[in-house]
Amino acid sequence: MKFIHAADLHLDSPFLGLTNLPNSLLTVIRQSTFAAATKVFDRAISEHVDFVVLVGDLFDRSEQSVAAQAYLFEQFDRLRLANIPVFVIFGNHDFLADQHQPIAYPENVHVFGVTVETKTLTTAAGETVALSGFSYPQRWVEANPLAAFPNRAATDWHLGLLHGAIKSGSQDHYAPFTRADLLSKRYDYWALGHIHQHQILNTQPPVVYAGNTQGRSINETGAKGAYLVESDGTALVPHFFETTVIGWDIPEVMTTSAADLPAVGQALTQWVTTHATTLPTLTALSIQAPQLVPTDLHDLETDWLALYQRTHARLLKEHQRYFIRLNVALPESTLTAPQLDQQYWEAGAATVFTPENLRDLFGKLAQEPALAEWFEQSQTQTDLKRLTERQIATLMGKADSDVS
Amino acid sequence: MYLKTLTIYGFGHFHDRTFTLDAGLNYLVGPNEAGKSTLTQFIVAILFGFPTKKHPELRYEPLDGSLFGGALTFVQAKTQYTVSRTAGPHGGTATLHDDTTDLTLPATQLPKLLTPMDQLLFTQVYVINEPRLGQVFSASKQALIERLRHVGAVGSDYWLQRAQQMDKQADTLYKPQGRNPQLNQQLRTYQELTDKLDKANAAYETYWQLRQEQQQRQRQQADLQTQLQQQRRVTTTLTQRVSQWSTYVAWQRLAQNQQAAVSGFSTTDATQLEQLRGQLTAAKQALTEDQQRIATAQQAAELPEFFQEYLPVAAQVDPLLTELPDVQLASQQQTALKTTRAELQRRATEIEAQFAQDGQMPRAFSLATTQQIDQLQQRLTSANQQRRQLQQTLNQLNERYQQLQPAKAHATNPLADKQVVWLTIGLAVLIGAMFLPGAMFKLVGALLGVAVGYYGVFLVDSSTPASRQLQALTDDIRDSQAQLREKGRLIDDLTNQLDVIGTAHGLGHVPVEQWSATQAAIGEWERLTQQLETTDTQLATVAQKVTDFRQQLATVLPKLATSDDATLWQQLATIVRLKTSLKSQESELATIATRLTHDQAAVTSAQQQVTTFLRTRNLQQVDDFYDRYQVQRERASQAKQQAALAAQLGPENLAALQQVSDLAALQAQLQQAQAKQQTVQAQLDHCTERLATLAGQLAHLTTSGTQATLRQRRQNLVTEMQTTTEKWLVDRLASQWIETTLAAASGDRLPQIIAQASEFYGKLTENRYTKIELTSTTLQVQKQTGEWRTVSQLSRGTAEQLDLAVKLAFAVVMQQQVAMPLIIDDGFVNFDERRRQAAYALLAEISHKIQVILLTADTTVIQLATGRVSQLSD
Repeated sequence: MKFIHAADLHLDSPFLGLTNLPNSLLTVIRQSTFAAATKVFDRAISEHVDFVVLVGDLFDRSEQSVAAQAYLFEQFDRLRLANIPVFVIFGNHDFLADQHQPIAYPENVHVFGVTVETKTLTTAAGETVALSGFSYPQRWVEANPLAAFPNRAATDWHLGLLHGAIKSGSQDHYAPFTRADLLSKRYDYWALGHIHQHQILNTQPPVVYAGNTQGRSINETGAKGAYLVESDGTALVPHFFETTVIGWDIPEVMTTSAADLPAVGQALTQWVTTHATTLPTLTALSIQAPQLVPTDLHDLETDWLALYQRTHARLLKEHQRYFIRLNVALPESTLTAPQLDQQYWEAGAATVFTPENLRDLFGKLAQEPALAEWFEQSQTQTDLKRLTERQIATLMGKADSDVS
Repeated sequence: MYLKTLTIYGFGHFHDRTFTLDAGLNYLVGPNEAGKSTLTQFIVAILFGFPTKKHPELRYEPLDGSLFGGALTFVQAKTQYTVSRTAGPHGGTATLHDDTTDLTLPATQLPKLLTPMDQLLFTQVYVINEPRLGQVFSASKQALIERLRHVGAVGSDYWLQRAQQMDKQADTLYKPQGRNPQLNQQLRTYQELTDKLDKANAAYETYWQLRQEQQQRQRQQADLQTQLQQQRRVTTTLTQRVSQWSTYVAWQRLAQNQQAAVSGFSTTDATQLEQLRGQLTAAKQALTEDQQRIATAQQAAELPEFFQEYLPVAAQVDPLLTELPDVQLASQQQTALKTTRAELQRRATEIEAQFAQDGQMPRAFSLATTQQIDQLQQRLTSANQQRRQLQQTLNQLNERYQQLQPAKAHATNPLADKQVVWLTIGLAVLIGAMFLPGAMFKLVGALLGVAVGYYGVFLVDSSTPASRQLQALTDDIRDSQAQLREKGRLIDDLTNQLDVIGTAHGLGHVPVEQWSATQAAIGEWERLTQQLETTDTQLATVAQKVTDFRQQLATVLPKLATSDDATLWQQLATIVRLKTSLKSQESELATIATRLTHDQAAVTSAQQQVTTFLRTRNLQQVDDFYDRYQVQRERASQAKQQAALAAQLGPENLAALQQVSDLAALQAQLQQAQAKQQTVQAQLDHCTERLATLAGQLAHLTTSGTQATLRQRRQNLVTEMQTTTEKWLVDRLASQWIETTLAAASGDRLPQIIAQASEFYGKLTENRYTKIELTSTTLQVQKQTGEWRTVSQLSRGTAEQLDLAVKLAFAVVMQQQVAMPLIIDDGFVNFDERRRQAAYALLAEISHKIQVILLTADTTVIQLATGRVSQLSD
């Protein structure tokens, strides 16, 4: 028996944190979730698998993407022509509360309902396979769903399909379960979805997160793809294969002794030539340039990158490197101002960098969901403090230079 | 900083005056209207600019027309500067000269040199006059902090500027109420993109609707295609039918003429009838000929009448005649049997008369019963013989006994009669022994008694031979008698048994000795009875035979039936004889008669066949048949024609055409079908067209990419917005941070100032008040006695002293950051003498740290000799 386990296709979801990229790349990016998913289906057809399981988050319901829906119809039909059944559960992003239910997918597609159900099939080789799973009825499923899963059936193989996260004790909105729960069912394979980093929670029987097929933000670096699972006669063995079309990368900090911005540009060009990649890679690079004056550092973080990307478009394209941002890594230093005692700055910081004050300052902008979401991240608050410190430090440098 | 010289070109009523000042305490003494306030205003104006012309009373322009303005020489950070200011725009034309390096500096450098001091702070804190005392710090801690922040730290103005700059920069990025700042613009763009995206997202709904419609349409299309095919077939069929209409009309005409097919009038039937009629005619002809012949023959034969009767029915009678000998024999047998039966009956009656009792014949014995009776009779015979012998023996014995009887009386033993005596004696002895003493004697006596008794009874009695002989004889007689009685009983018993058997067999009234004879008679009777029955049966059989015969005969020859047996036999015999004779002679008559019979039969049969033939067809006459036959032939030919037409039409079309009233209706049907076909075709076309449109629309929606582009654009804008917001927040936070840091730095001086002020206030009030405290809204002071007073509870003078103490403390504490001369313009008018002196003393004290310029009308200060004294008036 042979099948493909994929999850979190997130078809047609936009990429996060992109600015200043060439249009040609934007087109590739827009197509990337589709291209990655197509690699999965291509593999299914070339390997003549017995079936494909898609474990939730095929698309993002809130995006209301026509392209995603049309794509699914098209690909499902492709698999239908290749006589490959598809077993689908829906997750928190594509939950099954749909007014469009009357429009059926092709008959080879088996969608699980909102309560756990078991479907069976017989492979071309005559092996019987039972698959148990359910789809999310809404965005959150807070109860542990394992109780509803049946015990292992008397078929040759039994697979569990589950979109969710391991119970953490709090904020468990995604069908929280434990590894022991899964193993207690004695299934031959647990096909998991929801976590975007592919990983094998248990080797035998395999309990596997397929991860997503295409990373969509700088937080989703590393290989993305799906699993081709084959039976060795007695057990099921998963093999990972990559589907990524666009890579994301956070490389090592680049240290340069450049004393001005043109020198930094040369250093960066040097870096790009030595860090060519096989896939177009969206890169968030940190630069440590101790020789640079604070104003240059400030520019480096803001407008300089856009200019660099425009002027070095060919080079970047050749080496498939695209920078989404440059972080200037400052050597750790305390903030000192000769005229003002350190204690007053600290006292000031204690007053200013409180959540309450930040929220007051943010004020009406909180009504803008896109900004509110960004603002609520703890990373944002840390960044704000860091950047403000940099700002003050820059001012101090000026003050010092003024005084001198 | 301290002021070194004041050079007045023209200001108020001063012109061309120069005052030289010490770094410490300076008294400028002059009476009212000497120009104390003018001089104070002069210092402020030269340092910070002239008031605008809107406030001419504050400008102190010289009335005599001399040059407006003047110059100040001051020392700051060990550098001497001279600043001059003359009439000019924006607060006057100023010059700045560094006297130490003899460099002329741009006038704009002046505020920088004075930083953080500005006019407001200077006039509020450092320029003290009566009206202003008590106005400033009585307000609140906040007011104090405001001032403090101003001068809180060296370089704070830089930071304040930076903070302002940050705020300005932030404002270019975002203003909550603004339109043009970057983020505001981005937010607008975001909203526009969102609106566009919402519109594009409407495509999502549209997509699903189109999809749904597509699926529906595809099903509809398939349906319609099927319908159309069907409808086309219908049209084709109808067209065909219209073309067949004339054929159908012909068929219909034939069908109307068509009568119901009648069987039995086929050609075969006609042939058959012909044959039958031929047969009949032939038979009749033969019959007539033979009748003529037999008439001729009869005249010649002169046969008896009954024979003539016989002839026609000879066929029926002949079988009877063959039976005739048997019947005659049976008739004879009948007579014989009747005789036998009478004989048997007589004999049986005889036997019955002899033996029957109550009309009932005794029954015969079975073999076992016969044996039993023989046995019983033998035994009875032997028992009777034995009894007779016993009777003889007894008689003999009785005779002998008679002989012996006389001797017997003499030969009687006397003792023998003494038996009773003996017994009595034995008894007496026995009883007497009882009276003997001693058990032994009693026993012996008793035994003796018994022995005597026994002897008397038994031994004495049989002692004589004669008696014994008689006794034996008597015994024998008795024995014989007993035996005799026993035999009698046996005989009775046997007799009884025989009686029982006799009664059971109905022989009760017959003596046993006749029983065997009776048995023979009974056997005979039973045989007779059986023979009677047999005879009766035979008789019945033959009688039946005869009767049957007669009955059969009666049916064919009724005339003969009435005659008696003998006549009948005779006549029949005659017939047989005649017949035989006729046969034997091979007479023509017989032959003719036979033929006649045959002819008659043939005619009847032929006639019957014809009749049957006609009747089965419900006809009377043969001609009727031919009429009908002709009609049927006509009909058959039409039917054939019709069938040919029907075949041409086909069964389905024919059935369908039969449902149609006329050609117009059929054509209407065809038109209807064609119309319907067109409708379906139109529907299908529409559906196909719609599907094509749908496919186009779906393809457009799917491939337009608008949605994705917008979404990604919006997402990118979000990233930009986040960046802008981040910048804005960083600017605002930096500004806030600077402010709070400055506040923190200034706020730190507050306790120092308050402590210093408390000390000064104690000195000013001769220690009546010892402590000052800042509350959030105001100041309060503690009296020596421990009571607390708020500012409002203090007398005017004491309140002014409090304000003075705080201002002095402020100046003293802050002189580390900013040293400005304190200019006191007749500030102590409400002070009593002692407190004024205390104030002078205090001023002298602090003048070691900062320059103090006291403008006063009080000439007593001259005597104090604590500072440089200058006279305001020339």
